[in-house]
Amino acid sequence: MGEGVVTMAPYVISSLGLGSCVVVALYDTRQKIGGLAHVMLPSSSHFQVGHKPYQRADKAIATLLEGLLMRRASRQDIVAKLVGGARMFSYEDDRSLGIGQQNVLSIKDILRREQIPLIGEDVGGHHGRSVEFHLDSGKLIVRSIGREERIL
Amino acid sequence: MNEHEQVLSEEELDFLREMMNIGAGNAATAFRQMLQCKVEVVIPDVAVLSPQEAIYTLGDPSLPVTCAKMSTLGDVLGDLFLIIEDEQKARLTHLVEQAVGLPDRKAPLADYKVKNLPSSLQSLKLEDLSVFSEISNILAGVYLTAIHDFCKLNIYHSVPTLGTDMIQALLDESITVLSNGIQPIILVKNEFAVVETQVVTFLLMFPSKESLQRLINSIKDARRKYGFE
Repeated sequence: MGEGVVTMAPYVISSLGLGSCVVVALYDTRQKIGGLAHVMLPSSSHFQVGHKPYQRADKAIATLLEGLLMRRASRQDIVAKLVGGARMFSYEDDRSLGIGQQNVLSIKDILRREQIPLIGEDVGGHHGRSVEFHLDSGKLIVRSIGREERIL
Repeated sequence: MNEHEQVLSEEELDFLREMMNIGAGNAATAFRQMLQCKVEVVIPDVAVLSPQEAIYTLGDPSLPVTCAKMSTLGDVLGDLFLIIEDEQKARLTHLVEQAVGLPDRKAPLADYKVKNLPSSLQSLKLEDLSVFSEISNILAGVYLTAIHDFCKLNIYHSVPTLGTDMIQALLDESITVLSNGIQPIILVKNEFAVVETQVVTFLLMFPSKESLQRLINSIKDARRKYGFE
C-alpha cells in the first residue's frame, strides 16, 4: 500500500488486495516503459498522511510521470489505466462518497489536467481486486474472488 | 518494526496480554453457553504492529477471509475487525452445526471429527454469517470489557457488518483513514478448541490517532496502579 514502481518490458508488476485503494498504471505504448502506483488517498490536502510519494493521488501521478520521463518515455505516447476504488462495506443510510470513489474521481481529474488519455478502467463496486501489469504487452490483468479475470 | 516499537515497552505489552487473557477466559464461558459443550481457550497472542505487518502475519494481502467490521465508540474511537480464514470458517460452522444445528444433523460432539469436511461448507452460507456475527460480538465484547475493567475506559462496539474478500481489500479503508498507513494497530490471535478441533480467529483493533494515544496512556497508568514499575 502506498508504494509505486517504474520499470520496463519484460517485467511484470503486481499489486494485491485493492479495496478502496486505486492502482494507476501509466504506460508508454511505443517504448514499453511503464509504472504503477498504489494510491490510498485522493489528495495531499485531504488528510494528513506520512511522506510516501505514492500514497496520495496528486503526488503519485506526478512521481510516476517523472519516473517514466526519466527513463526517456515520450510524453505523447503515455496512456493510463485505473483499477480499484471499491466500497467494501455499505451502510444503508450512508449517501456520502466513499473514499474509493473519491480516489477515482481525483485521479481522473488529474489525468485530464495532465492530458494523459485514460484507456481502460475497472473501478467501483463492492469487491476487492488484485492487479498484474505486464510491461511487454501493456496489459493489466485484474483478478477478484469468485469473478472472471478481466484484461484491460 | 521501527518507530512504533517504542509505543509500548515489553512490560507494558505483557500487561496488555494479561488483560486480553482475562478476556479470553470470559470468552470461553460465553462459548460454552452457546455451544453447550466444553470449550478450551488458548492464551491469546497479542501484538502491536503496523497494518502491513499484521496482514503478513495472517498471509499475503490477497488472502481470502471473512470479516466482521465494527466501529468502536466511547473513549476509544476506531474500527474493530474479527477475521477468519476460509478453512477455519468451515471448521467453525461445522462445529456450531454439530452443537446447535438442525436436529437431524446434531451429533454428539465427542464423536466429532474434522478430517472430512463436506465441501458445501467451503462456500459462504447465511448460517455461517449469523454464527460468525455472534462470535465477533462475543470476542469484541470480552476484550473491550477487559480493557474497561483495567483501564477504566468505556468502549462500546457497533453491530458487525460482514464481508468476504481479500484481506487487504477489506482493511485498506481503515488502514488509510484511521492508521494513516503506518500507525500501529493491535492484533489479537484467538484460539479456542472443542474436543480436538481448534478454531483460530484474529481480532484487529484500529484506534484513531488520538484514541491510540489515550489507550496507551491508560495502559501505562493501569500498570502503575496495579503496583508494577
